Amino acid sequence: MRVGFIGLGVMGRPMAEHLMQAGHTLGVWARRPESTAPLVEQGATAYATPAALAAACEVVITIITNSQDVEGVAFGEHGLAAGFARGAVHVDMSTIAPDAARDFARRYAEAGIDWVDAPVSGGEQAAVAGTLAIMAGANEAAFARVRPLFEAMGKTIVRVGEPGAGQVAKACNQMVMVCALQACAEAMHLARTHNVDLAAVRTALLGGSAASRVMEVMGERMVKRDFSAGIQARLHHKDFGILLDEAVKIGAPLPIAAQTWQQLNALMKQGWGYDDTSSLLKVLEAASGSKA
Amino acid sequence: MNVGFIGLGLMGRPMALNLIRAGHSLRVWARRAEAMQPLLDAGAVAGASAADVAANVDVVITIVGDAPDVERVALGPDGIADGARPGLIHIDMSTISPEVTQSIAQQLRDRGVTMLDAPVSGGEPGAINATLTIMVGGDASAFECVKPLFEAMGKTISHIGGNGAGQVAKACNQIVTGVGVAAVAEALNFARKSGVDAGAVREVLMGGFAASRILDAHGGRMVQRNFKPGFKSWMHQKDMRIVLEEAHRLGLQLPTAAAAAQLYNAMVGSGLGEEDSVAMLKLFERMSGGEG
Repeated sequence: MRVGFIGLGVMGRPMAEHLMQAGHTLGVWARRPESTAPLVEQGATAYATPAALAAACEVVITIITNSQDVEGVAFGEHGLAAGFARGAVHVDMSTIAPDAARDFARRYAEAGIDWVDAPVSGGEQAAVAGTLAIMAGANEAAFARVRPLFEAMGKTIVRVGEPGAGQVAKACNQMVMVCALQACAEAMHLARTHNVDLAAVRTALLGGSAASRVMEVMGERMVKRDFSAGIQARLHHKDFGILLDEAVKIGAPLPIAAQTWQQLNALMKQGWGYDDTSSLLKVLEAASGSKA
Repeated sequence: MNVGFIGLGLMGRPMALNLIRAGHSLRVWARRAEAMQPLLDAGAVAGASAADVAANVDVVITIVGDAPDVERVALGPDGIADGARPGLIHIDMSTISPEVTQSIAQQLRDRGVTMLDAPVSGGEPGAINATLTIMVGGDASAFECVKPLFEAMGKTISHIGGNGAGQVAKACNQIVTGVGVAAVAEALNFARKSGVDAGAVREVLMGGFAASRILDAHGGRMVQRNFKPGFKSWMHQKDMRIVLEEAHRLGLQLPTAAAAAQLYNAMVGSGLGEEDSVAMLKLFERMSGGEG
Protein backbone atom coordinates (compact mmCIF):
# COMPACT_ATOMS: atom_id res chain seq x y z
CA MET A 1 0.00 0.00 0.00
CA ARG A 2 1.16 3.58 -0.57
CA VAL A 3 1.25 4.94 2.97
CA GLY A 4 2.10 8.44 4.21
CA PHE A 5 3.51 9.05 7.69
CA ILE A 6 3.64 12.27 9.70
CA GLY A 7 5.13 12.43 13.19
CA LEU A 8 8.49 10.69 13.28
CA GLY A 9 9.15 10.97 17.01
CA VAL A 10 10.07 8.25 19.51
CA MET A 11 6.82 6.43 18.75
CA GLY A 12 6.32 7.30 15.08
CA ARG A 13 9.74 6.42 13.76
CA PRO A 14 9.80 2.72 14.73
CA MET A 15 6.15 2.42 13.67
CA ALA A 16 7.01 3.79 10.22
CA GLU A 17 9.96 1.42 9.97
CA HIS A 18 7.68 -1.55 10.64
CA LEU A 19 5.45 -0.45 7.76
CA MET A 20 8.41 -0.39 5.38
CA GLN A 21 9.60 -3.77 6.62
CA ALA A 22 6.12 -5.15 5.89
CA GLY A 23 6.56 -4.08 2.28
CA HIS A 24 4.53 -0.88 2.15
CA THR A 25 5.68 2.10 0.09
CA LEU A 26 6.33 4.92 2.53
CA GLY A 27 6.01 8.67 1.99
CA VAL A 28 6.90 11.10 4.77
CA TRP A 29 6.55 14.76 5.69
CA ALA A 30 7.90 16.63 8.71
CA ARG A 31 7.92 20.25 9.77
CA ARG A 32 11.70 19.96 10.22
CA PRO A 33 12.89 18.18 7.04
CA GLU A 34 15.96 16.72 8.82
CA SER A 35 13.70 14.45 10.90
CA THR A 36 12.71 12.58 7.73
CA ALA A 37 16.36 11.72 6.92
CA PRO A 38 16.55 8.34 8.75
CA LEU A 39 13.46 7.11 6.91
CA VAL A 40 14.55 8.51 3.54
CA GLU A 41 17.85 6.62 3.93
CA GLN A 42 15.79 3.45 4.27
CA GLY A 43 13.93 4.20 1.04
CA ALA A 44 11.03 6.46 2.01
CA THR A 45 10.13 9.46 -0.16
CA ALA A 46 9.93 12.91 1.46
CA TYR A 47 7.22 15.36 0.33
CA ALA A 48 7.16 19.15 0.59
CA THR A 49 3.74 19.53 2.22
CA PRO A 50 1.07 17.33 3.85
CA ALA A 51 -1.12 18.00 0.78
CA ALA A 52 1.58 16.67 -1.58
CA LEU A 53 1.99 13.61 0.65
CA ALA A 54 -1.78 13.01 0.72
CA ALA A 55 -1.99 13.27 -3.08
CA ALA A 56 0.57 10.47 -3.42
CA CYS A 57 -0.92 8.07 -0.84
CA GLU A 58 -4.01 5.90 -0.23
CA VAL A 59 -3.61 6.21 3.53
CA VAL A 60 -1.83 8.80 5.65
CA ILE A 61 -0.95 8.06 9.28
CA THR A 62 -0.35 10.86 11.78
CA ILE A 63 0.98 10.55 15.31
CA ILE A 64 1.55 14.02 16.73
CA THR A 65 0.96 15.98 19.93
CA ASN A 66 -2.55 17.36 20.27
CA SER A 67 -5.88 18.22 18.62
CA GLN A 68 -4.61 21.58 17.33
CA ASP A 69 -1.62 19.96 15.64
CA VAL A 70 -3.82 17.32 14.01
CA GLU A 71 -6.26 19.99 12.84
CA GLY A 72 -3.40 22.05 11.38
CA VAL A 73 -1.90 19.11 9.49
CA ALA A 74 -5.31 17.96 8.26
CA PHE A 75 -7.20 21.15 7.47
CA GLY A 76 -4.58 23.93 7.56
CA GLU A 77 -2.91 25.48 4.56
CA HIS A 78 -1.46 22.76 2.29
CA GLY A 79 -3.04 20.28 4.69
CA LEU A 80 -3.90 16.66 4.02
CA ALA A 81 -7.51 17.46 3.12
CA ALA A 82 -6.29 19.60 0.22
CA GLY A 83 -4.40 16.65 -1.28
CA PHE A 84 -6.48 13.54 -0.56
CA ALA A 85 -8.35 11.87 -3.42
CA ARG A 86 -11.90 10.67 -2.66
CA GLY A 87 -11.76 7.34 -0.88
CA ALA A 88 -8.46 8.06 0.87
CA VAL A 89 -8.08 7.42 4.61
CA HIS A 90 -6.54 9.57 7.35
CA VAL A 91 -5.46 7.33 10.24
CA ASP A 92 -4.68 9.47 13.28
CA MET A 93 -2.79 7.59 15.98
CA SER A 94 -2.26 10.64 18.23
CA THR A 95 -4.03 10.94 21.58
CA ILE A 96 -6.61 13.71 21.22
CA ALA A 97 -10.08 14.54 22.57
CA PRO A 98 -12.91 12.26 21.36
CA ASP A 99 -14.93 15.34 20.37
CA ALA A 100 -12.12 16.58 18.14
CA ALA A 101 -11.84 13.15 16.46
CA ARG A 102 -15.60 13.12 15.75
CA ASP A 103 -15.41 16.63 14.36
CA PHE A 104 -12.54 15.76 11.99
CA ALA A 105 -14.38 12.61 10.84
CA ARG A 106 -17.45 14.71 9.97
CA ARG A 107 -15.42 17.26 8.03
CA TYR A 108 -13.62 14.56 6.03
CA ALA A 109 -16.87 12.70 5.34
CA GLU A 110 -18.20 15.72 3.45
CA ALA A 111 -15.30 15.30 1.02
CA GLY A 112 -15.68 11.52 0.73
CA ILE A 113 -12.58 10.83 2.82
CA ASP A 114 -12.50 8.28 5.64
CA TRP A 115 -11.17 8.97 9.13
CA VAL A 116 -9.82 6.42 11.58
CA ASP A 117 -8.78 7.39 15.11
CA ALA A 118 -6.38 4.75 16.32
CA PRO A 119 -4.47 5.78 19.44
CA VAL A 120 -1.99 3.29 20.83
CA SER A 121 -0.80 1.97 24.16
CA GLY A 122 2.45 0.26 25.05
CA GLY A 123 4.99 3.05 24.82
CA GLU A 124 8.27 3.22 22.93
CA GLN A 125 9.16 -0.37 23.82
CA ALA A 126 6.04 -1.77 22.11
CA ALA A 127 6.45 0.58 19.15
CA VAL A 128 9.95 -0.81 18.57
CA ALA A 129 8.83 -4.41 19.07
CA GLY A 130 5.76 -3.96 16.87
CA THR A 131 3.50 -5.08 19.70
CA LEU A 132 1.39 -1.97 20.32
CA ALA A 133 -2.21 -2.14 21.50
CA ILE A 134 -4.23 -0.25 18.89
CA MET A 135 -7.77 0.93 19.67
CA ALA A 136 -9.65 2.16 16.63
CA GLY A 137 -12.72 4.28 15.99
CA ALA A 138 -13.83 3.94 12.38
CA ASN A 139 -16.54 2.66 10.09
CA GLU A 140 -16.10 -1.04 9.41
CA ALA A 141 -15.02 -0.71 5.78
CA ALA A 142 -12.28 1.83 6.52
CA PHE A 143 -11.07 -0.26 9.45
CA ALA A 144 -10.85 -3.37 7.23
CA ARG A 145 -8.78 -1.46 4.67
CA VAL A 146 -6.17 -0.22 7.14
CA ARG A 147 -6.07 -3.32 9.31
CA PRO A 148 -3.00 -4.75 7.51
CA LEU A 149 -1.12 -1.59 8.44
CA PHE A 150 -2.12 -1.99 12.09
CA GLU A 151 -0.97 -5.61 11.99
CA ALA A 152 2.50 -4.45 10.95
CA MET A 153 2.75 -2.17 14.00
CA GLY A 154 0.74 -3.81 16.75
CA LYS A 155 -0.45 -7.00 18.37
CA THR A 156 -3.78 -6.27 20.04
CA ILE A 157 -5.93 -4.53 17.45
CA VAL A 158 -9.51 -3.70 18.35
CA ARG A 159 -12.16 -1.73 16.52
CA VAL A 160 -13.95 -0.16 19.46
CA GLY A 161 -16.68 1.57 17.46
CA GLU A 162 -17.38 4.52 15.19
CA PRO A 163 -15.01 7.54 14.87
CA GLY A 164 -14.13 8.93 18.32
CA ALA A 165 -14.55 5.55 20.02
CA GLY A 166 -10.82 4.83 19.77
CA GLN A 167 -10.07 8.02 21.66
CA VAL A 168 -12.65 7.14 24.32
CA ALA A 169 -10.88 3.80 24.82
CA LYS A 170 -7.53 5.60 25.00
CA ALA A 171 -8.90 7.98 27.63
CA CYS A 172 -10.02 4.93 29.64
CA ASN A 173 -6.57 3.42 29.16
CA GLN A 174 -4.79 6.55 30.40
CA MET A 175 -7.11 6.84 33.37
CA VAL A 176 -6.60 3.25 34.50
CA MET A 177 -2.89 3.27 33.87
CA VAL A 178 -1.96 6.52 35.61
CA CYS A 179 -4.34 5.89 38.54
CA ALA A 180 -2.68 2.46 38.92
CA LEU A 181 0.67 4.18 38.76
CA GLN A 182 -0.40 6.50 41.58
CA ALA A 183 -1.55 3.49 43.62
CA CYS A 184 1.76 1.79 42.95
CA ALA A 185 3.65 4.93 44.03
CA GLU A 186 1.63 5.08 47.26
CA ALA A 187 2.39 1.42 47.97
CA MET A 188 6.12 1.96 47.39
CA HIS A 189 6.03 5.07 49.55
CA LEU A 190 4.25 3.20 52.33
CA ALA A 191 6.78 0.37 52.18
CA ARG A 192 9.69 2.77 52.34
CA THR A 193 8.20 4.68 55.26
CA HIS A 194 8.22 1.35 57.11
CA ASN A 195 11.84 0.78 56.06
CA VAL A 196 10.84 -2.34 54.15
CA ASP A 197 12.76 -3.39 51.03
CA LEU A 198 10.88 -2.05 47.99
CA ALA A 199 12.20 -4.63 45.57
CA ALA A 200 10.98 -7.44 47.82
CA VAL A 201 7.55 -5.85 48.18
CA ARG A 202 7.26 -5.48 44.43
CA THR A 203 8.29 -9.09 43.83
CA ALA A 204 5.81 -10.34 46.40
CA LEU A 205 2.97 -8.25 44.99
CA LEU A 206 3.65 -9.40 41.44
CA GLY A 207 2.76 -12.92 42.53
CA GLY A 208 -0.67 -11.96 43.86
CA SER A 209 -3.87 -10.09 43.08
CA ALA A 210 -2.13 -6.69 43.03
CA ALA A 211 0.03 -7.79 40.09
CA SER A 212 -0.18 -5.51 37.07
CA ARG A 213 1.83 -4.32 34.12
CA VAL A 214 2.23 -0.98 35.88
CA MET A 215 3.56 -2.63 39.04
CA GLU A 216 5.96 -4.61 36.89
CA VAL A 217 7.36 -1.84 34.66
CA MET A 218 6.85 1.42 36.58
CA GLY A 219 7.25 -0.33 39.91
CA GLU A 220 10.71 -1.39 38.83
CA ARG A 221 11.60 2.18 37.90
CA MET A 222 10.51 3.28 41.37
CA VAL A 223 12.58 0.55 43.03
CA LYS A 224 15.64 1.53 40.99
CA ARG A 225 14.83 5.22 41.31
CA ASP A 226 15.30 5.51 37.56
CA PHE A 227 12.89 8.26 36.62
CA SER A 228 14.53 9.28 33.36
CA ALA A 229 13.29 6.67 30.89
CA GLY A 230 9.79 5.85 29.68
CA ILE A 231 6.81 8.11 29.07
CA GLN A 232 7.18 11.82 29.75
CA ALA A 233 4.84 12.76 32.59
CA ARG A 234 3.83 16.02 30.87
CA LEU A 235 2.00 13.93 28.26
CA HIS A 236 -0.05 12.17 30.93
CA HIS A 237 -0.70 15.57 32.53
CA LYS A 238 -2.04 16.77 29.18
CA ASP A 239 -4.19 13.64 28.84
CA PHE A 240 -5.68 14.16 32.29
CA GLY A 241 -6.58 17.75 31.42
CA ILE A 242 -8.54 16.43 28.41
CA LEU A 243 -10.05 13.58 30.40
CA LEU A 244 -11.36 15.68 33.27
CA ASP A 245 -12.63 18.32 30.87
CA GLU A 246 -14.66 15.65 29.06
CA ALA A 247 -15.97 14.50 32.45
CA VAL A 248 -17.37 18.00 33.01
CA LYS A 249 -19.05 17.99 29.60
CA ILE A 250 -20.76 14.65 30.10
CA GLY A 251 -21.42 15.04 33.83
CA ALA A 252 -19.39 12.03 34.94
CA PRO A 253 -17.81 11.91 38.40
CA LEU A 254 -14.22 10.60 38.26
CA PRO A 255 -13.09 10.94 41.89
CA ILE A 256 -9.85 8.95 41.72
CA ALA A 257 -8.79 10.35 38.36
CA ALA A 258 -9.38 13.86 39.73
CA GLN A 259 -7.05 13.18 42.67
CA THR A 260 -4.40 11.70 40.39
CA TRP A 261 -4.70 14.80 38.21
CA GLN A 262 -3.81 16.95 41.21
CA GLN A 263 -0.73 14.82 41.89
CA LEU A 264 0.27 15.31 38.25
CA ASN A 265 -0.17 19.08 38.68
CA ALA A 266 2.25 18.95 41.61
CA LEU A 267 4.67 16.86 39.54
CA MET A 268 4.65 19.50 36.80
CA LYS A 269 5.23 22.28 39.31
CA GLN A 270 8.31 20.40 40.58
CA GLY A 271 9.71 20.50 37.05
CA TRP A 272 9.59 16.74 36.46
CA GLY A 273 7.38 16.91 33.36
CA TYR A 274 10.07 15.50 31.09
CA ASP A 275 10.78 12.57 33.42
CA ASP A 276 8.81 9.34 33.55
CA THR A 277 5.44 9.40 35.30
CA SER A 278 6.84 7.07 37.97
CA SER A 279 8.05 10.41 39.40
CA LEU A 280 4.64 10.45 41.12
CA LEU A 281 6.57 8.65 43.88
CA LYS A 282 8.73 11.75 44.33
CA VAL A 283 5.60 13.93 44.65
CA LEU A 284 4.55 11.82 47.64
CA GLU A 285 8.03 12.03 49.12
CA ALA A 286 8.08 15.80 48.71
CA ALA A 287 4.71 16.07 50.44
CA SER A 288 5.85 14.02 53.41
CA GLY A 289 9.20 15.77 53.65
CA SER A 290 11.24 12.67 52.93
CA LYS A 291 13.74 12.00 50.17
CA ALA A 292 15.83 9.06 49.06
CA MET B 1 -23.58 58.35 35.09
CA ASN B 2 -24.44 57.06 31.62
CA VAL B 3 -24.23 53.32 32.01
CA GLY B 4 -24.64 50.48 29.55
CA PHE B 5 -25.80 47.08 30.79
CA ILE B 6 -25.55 43.80 28.88
CA GLY B 7 -26.74 40.50 30.34
CA LEU B 8 -30.15 40.79 31.97
CA GLY B 9 -30.53 37.36 33.52
CA LEU B 10 -31.20 36.17 37.05
CA MET B 11 -28.37 38.35 38.40
CA GLY B 12 -28.12 41.13 35.82
CA ARG B 13 -31.73 42.27 35.91
CA PRO B 14 -31.92 43.18 39.61
CA MET B 15 -28.42 44.68 39.45
CA ALA B 16 -29.44 46.94 36.56
CA LEU B 17 -32.63 47.92 38.36
CA ASN B 18 -30.57 48.97 41.39
CA LEU B 19 -28.46 51.23 39.16
CA ILE B 20 -31.62 52.94 37.87
CA ARG B 21 -32.86 53.33 41.42
CA ALA B 22 -29.57 55.03 42.35
CA GLY B 23 -30.23 57.64 39.65
CA HIS B 24 -28.06 56.43 36.78
CA SER B 25 -29.36 56.47 33.21
CA LEU B 26 -29.23 53.07 31.63
CA ARG B 27 -28.90 51.85 28.06
CA VAL B 28 -29.40 48.09 27.83
CA TRP B 29 -28.99 45.37 25.26
CA ALA B 30 -29.84 41.69 25.25
CA ARG B 31 -29.84 39.04 22.55
CA ARG B 32 -33.44 38.21 23.44
CA ALA B 33 -35.40 41.46 23.17
CA GLU B 34 -37.99 40.35 25.77
CA ALA B 35 -35.25 40.19 28.41
CA MET B 36 -34.97 44.01 28.14
CA GLN B 37 -38.64 44.71 28.83
CA PRO B 38 -38.54 44.92 32.65
CA LEU B 39 -35.70 47.43 32.36
CA LEU B 40 -37.42 49.50 29.68
CA ASP B 41 -40.49 49.61 31.95
CA ALA B 42 -38.24 51.06 34.66
CA GLY B 43 -36.95 53.79 32.35
CA ALA B 44 -33.93 52.28 30.58
CA VAL B 45 -33.30 52.85 26.87
CA ALA B 46 -32.88 49.90 24.51
CA GLY B 47 -29.66 49.78 22.51
CA ALA B 48 -29.47 48.22 19.03
CA SER B 49 -26.31 46.23 19.74
CA ALA B 50 -23.42 46.01 22.19
CA ALA B 51 -21.54 48.47 19.95
CA ASP B 52 -24.46 50.89 20.03
CA VAL B 53 -24.61 50.69 23.83
CA ALA B 54 -20.85 51.30 24.07
CA ALA B 55 -21.06 54.31 21.75
CA ASN B 56 -23.54 56.11 24.02
CA VAL B 57 -22.24 55.56 27.55
CA ASP B 58 -19.22 56.20 29.80
CA VAL B 59 -19.25 52.78 31.40
CA VAL B 60 -20.58 49.49 30.09
CA ILE B 61 -21.28 46.54 32.40
CA THR B 62 -21.55 42.94 31.22
CA ILE B 63 -22.68 39.89 33.18
CA VAL B 64 -23.03 36.95 30.82
CA GLY B 65 -22.44 33.17 30.77
CA ASP B 66 -18.88 32.16 30.12
CA ALA B 67 -15.61 33.31 28.57
CA PRO B 68 -16.68 32.88 24.91
CA ASP B 69 -19.76 35.05 25.61
CA VAL B 70 -17.61 37.80 27.13
CA GLU B 71 -15.19 37.60 24.20
CA ARG B 72 -18.02 37.84 21.70
CA VAL B 73 -19.75 40.78 23.33
CA ALA B 74 -16.48 42.65 23.98
CA LEU B 75 -14.44 41.95 20.87
CA GLY B 76 -16.78 40.31 18.34
CA PRO B 77 -18.58 42.02 15.46
CA ASP B 78 -20.88 44.81 16.70
CA GLY B 79 -19.23 44.31 20.08
CA ILE B 80 -18.21 46.82 22.70
CA ALA B 81 -14.81 47.59 21.14
CA ASP B 82 -16.50 48.34 17.79
CA GLY B 83 -18.59 51.12 19.31
CA ALA B 84 -16.34 52.35 22.12
CA ARG B 85 -15.53 56.02 22.55
CA PRO B 86 -12.03 56.79 23.84
CA GLY B 87 -11.88 56.38 27.61
CA LEU B 88 -14.73 53.90 27.85
CA ILE B 89 -14.60 51.64 30.91
CA HIS B 90 -15.87 48.09 30.51
CA ILE B 91 -16.76 46.29 33.74
CA ASP B 92 -17.19 42.55 33.27
CA MET B 93 -19.06 41.04 36.21
CA SER B 94 -19.28 37.52 34.75
CA THR B 95 -17.31 34.68 36.29
CA ILE B 96 -14.68 33.57 33.79
CA SER B 97 -11.05 32.45 33.94
CA PRO B 98 -8.39 34.91 35.11
CA GLU B 99 -6.24 33.99 32.12
CA VAL B 100 -8.92 34.79 29.54
CA THR B 101 -9.78 37.98 31.42
CA GLN B 102 -6.20 39.20 31.10
CA SER B 103 -6.18 38.46 27.40
CA ILE B 104 -9.47 40.32 26.78
CA ALA B 105 -8.27 43.27 28.89
CA GLN B 106 -5.10 43.50 26.80
CA GLN B 107 -7.02 43.47 23.52
CA LEU B 108 -9.47 46.08 24.79
CA ARG B 109 -6.59 48.27 25.99
CA ASP B 110 -5.18 48.20 22.46
CA ARG B 111 -8.52 49.59 21.28
CA GLY B 112 -8.72 52.35 23.91
CA VAL B 113 -11.01 50.62 26.41
CA THR B 114 -10.15 50.11 30.09
CA MET B 115 -11.43 46.81 31.43
CA LEU B 116 -12.18 45.90 35.02
CA ASP B 117 -13.08 42.37 36.09
CA ALA B 118 -15.62 42.52 38.88
CA PRO B 119 -17.23 39.15 39.57
CA VAL B 120 -19.72 38.96 42.39
CA SER B 121 -20.77 36.70 45.21
CA GLY B 122 -24.05 36.69 47.09
CA GLY B 123 -26.44 35.13 44.61
CA GLU B 124 -29.83 36.37 43.51
CA PRO B 125 -30.82 37.68 46.98
CA GLY B 126 -27.60 39.72 47.07
CA ALA B 127 -28.35 41.11 43.62
CA ILE B 128 -31.92 42.09 44.58
CA ASN B 129 -30.98 43.62 47.94
CA ALA B 130 -27.85 45.37 46.59
CA THR B 131 -25.71 43.49 49.11
CA LEU B 132 -23.39 41.72 46.67
CA THR B 133 -19.73 41.17 47.40
CA ILE B 134 -17.79 42.61 44.45
CA MET B 135 -14.16 41.70 43.85
CA VAL B 136 -12.40 43.92 41.37
CA GLY B 137 -9.28 43.59 39.24
CA GLY B 138 -7.81 46.24 36.97
CA ASP B 139 -6.65 49.84 36.93
CA ALA B 140 -7.06 51.49 40.37
CA SER B 141 -8.14 54.91 39.09
CA ALA B 142 -10.78 53.35 36.83
CA PHE B 143 -11.98 51.49 39.92
CA GLU B 144 -12.30 54.76 41.88
CA CYS B 145 -14.15 56.29 38.96
CA VAL B 146 -16.86 53.59 38.83
CA LYS B 147 -17.05 52.87 42.56
CA PRO B 148 -20.44 54.63 42.91
CA LEU B 149 -21.88 52.05 40.50
CA PHE B 150 -20.53 49.19 42.59
CA GLU B 151 -21.97 50.85 45.70
CA ALA B 152 -25.41 50.85 44.09
CA MET B 153 -25.22 47.08 43.58
CA GLY B 154 -23.17 45.74 46.45
CA LYS B 155 -22.02 46.10 50.02
CA THR B 156 -18.52 44.62 50.29
CA ILE B 157 -16.47 46.12 47.49
CA SER B 158 -12.75 45.43 47.17
CA HIS B 159 -10.10 46.30 44.66
CA ILE B 160 -7.88 43.21 44.74
CA GLY B 161 -5.19 43.98 42.15
CA GLY B 162 -4.52 44.16 38.42
CA ASN B 163 -6.53 42.62 35.58
CA GLY B 164 -7.69 39.12 36.47
CA ALA B 165 -7.22 39.61 40.24
CA GLY B 166 -10.98 39.90 40.73
CA GLN B 167 -11.44 36.58 38.93
CA VAL B 168 -8.75 34.97 41.08
CA ALA B 169 -10.64 36.12 44.20
CA LYS B 170 -13.86 34.75 42.72
CA ALA B 171 -12.17 31.42 41.99
CA CYS B 172 -11.09 31.31 45.66
CA ASN B 173 -14.67 32.09 46.64
CA GLN B 174 -15.92 29.19 44.50
CA ILE B 175 -13.41 26.80 46.04
CA VAL B 176 -14.62 27.68 49.53
CA THR B 177 -18.33 27.69 48.67
CA GLY B 178 -18.13 24.65 46.36
CA VAL B 179 -16.37 22.56 48.96
CA GLY B 180 -18.46 24.12 51.74
CA VAL B 181 -21.80 23.15 50.24
CA ALA B 182 -20.52 19.58 49.81
CA ALA B 183 -19.28 19.47 53.41
CA VAL B 184 -22.58 20.77 54.79
CA ALA B 185 -24.60 18.34 52.64
CA GLU B 186 -22.38 15.49 53.77
CA ALA B 187 -22.79 16.41 57.45
CA LEU B 188 -26.56 16.83 57.27
CA ASN B 189 -26.95 13.57 55.37
CA PHE B 190 -24.77 11.87 57.97
CA ALA B 191 -26.99 13.24 60.75
CA ARG B 192 -30.18 12.08 59.10
CA LYS B 193 -28.91 8.62 58.17
CA SER B 194 -27.80 8.26 61.79
CA GLY B 195 -31.39 8.85 62.84
CA VAL B 196 -30.76 12.36 64.16
CA ASP B 197 -32.71 15.51 63.27
CA ALA B 198 -30.65 17.45 60.71
CA GLY B 199 -32.32 20.76 61.63
CA ALA B 200 -31.29 20.42 65.24
CA VAL B 201 -27.72 19.53 64.25
CA ARG B 202 -27.48 22.57 62.01
CA GLU B 203 -28.77 24.79 64.77
CA VAL B 204 -26.29 23.62 67.38
CA LEU B 205 -23.39 23.71 64.92
CA MET B 206 -24.16 27.36 64.22
CA GLY B 207 -23.04 28.07 67.80
CA GLY B 208 -19.56 26.59 67.36
CA PHE B 209 -16.53 26.55 65.09
CA ALA B 210 -18.42 24.87 62.25
CA ALA B 211 -20.64 27.95 61.97
CA SER B 212 -20.52 29.54 58.55
CA ARG B 213 -22.61 31.50 56.11
CA ILE B 214 -23.00 28.29 54.07
CA LEU B 215 -24.14 26.19 57.02
CA ASP B 216 -26.59 28.97 57.85
CA ALA B 217 -28.06 29.74 54.40
CA HIS B 218 -27.43 26.62 52.33
CA GLY B 219 -27.79 24.30 55.30
CA GLY B 220 -31.10 26.01 56.12
CA ARG B 221 -32.42 25.33 52.65
CA MET B 222 -31.27 21.71 52.84
CA VAL B 223 -33.18 21.24 56.08
CA GLN B 224 -36.27 22.79 54.46
CA ARG B 225 -35.63 20.72 51.34
CA ASN B 226 -35.87 23.87 49.25
CA PHE B 227 -33.84 23.08 46.13
CA LYS B 228 -35.12 25.96 43.99
CA PRO B 229 -32.28 28.05 42.45
CA GLY B 230 -30.62 30.38 43.52
CA PHE B 231 -27.41 29.32 42.08
CA LYS B 232 -27.85 26.37 39.75
CA SER B 233 -25.50 23.46 40.21
CA TRP B 234 -24.39 23.49 36.56
CA MET B 235 -23.11 27.02 37.20
CA HIS B 236 -21.07 25.85 40.14
CA GLN B 237 -19.81 22.97 37.99
CA LYS B 238 -18.66 25.55 35.42
CA ASP B 239 -16.89 27.59 38.09
CA MET B 240 -15.11 24.53 39.48
CA ARG B 241 -13.97 23.75 35.97
CA ILE B 242 -12.39 27.22 35.74
CA VAL B 243 -10.64 26.65 39.07
CA LEU B 244 -9.24 23.28 38.05
CA GLU B 245 -8.16 24.47 34.61
CA GLU B 246 -6.14 27.20 36.31
CA ALA B 247 -4.67 24.62 38.70
CA HIS B 248 -3.71 22.48 35.70
CA ARG B 249 -2.07 25.46 34.00
CA LEU B 250 -0.20 26.59 37.10
CA GLY B 251 0.77 23.14 38.39
CA LEU B 252 -1.20 23.48 41.62
CA GLN B 253 -2.56 20.71 43.73
CA LEU B 254 -6.21 21.33 44.69
CA PRO B 255 -7.27 17.91 45.98
CA THR B 256 -10.34 19.03 47.89
CA ALA B 257 -11.69 21.23 45.09
CA ALA B 258 -11.02 18.39 42.63
CA ALA B 259 -13.10 16.03 44.77
CA ALA B 260 -15.95 18.54 45.05
CA ALA B 261 -15.85 19.14 41.30
CA GLN B 262 -16.54 15.45 40.70
CA LEU B 263 -19.64 15.73 42.87
CA TYR B 264 -20.92 18.62 40.74
CA ASN B 265 -20.23 16.47 37.65
CA ALA B 266 -22.35 13.74 39.23
CA MET B 267 -25.15 16.23 39.95
CA VAL B 268 -25.26 17.46 36.38
CA GLY B 269 -24.94 13.95 34.98
CA SER B 270 -27.80 12.68 37.11
CA GLY B 271 -30.24 15.44 36.23
CA LEU B 272 -29.76 17.83 39.17
CA GLY B 273 -28.03 20.51 37.06
CA GLU B 274 -30.97 22.91 37.01
CA GLU B 275 -31.52 22.68 40.76
CA ASP B 276 -29.74 24.79 43.33
CA SER B 277 -26.35 23.59 44.49
CA VAL B 278 -27.95 22.59 47.81
CA ALA B 279 -29.40 19.62 45.88
CA MET B 280 -25.97 18.14 46.62
CA LEU B 281 -27.88 16.70 49.59
CA LYS B 282 -30.02 14.64 47.20
CA LEU B 283 -26.89 13.29 45.54
CA PHE B 284 -25.56 12.08 48.89
CA GLU B 285 -28.92 10.59 49.78
CA ARG B 286 -28.88 8.59 46.55
CA MET B 287 -25.29 7.53 47.00
CA SER B 288 -26.06 6.25 50.48
CA GLY B 289 -29.01 4.26 49.27
CA GLY B 290 -32.07 6.29 49.98
CA GLU B 291 -33.94 9.35 48.87
CA GLY B 292 -35.52 12.41 50.34
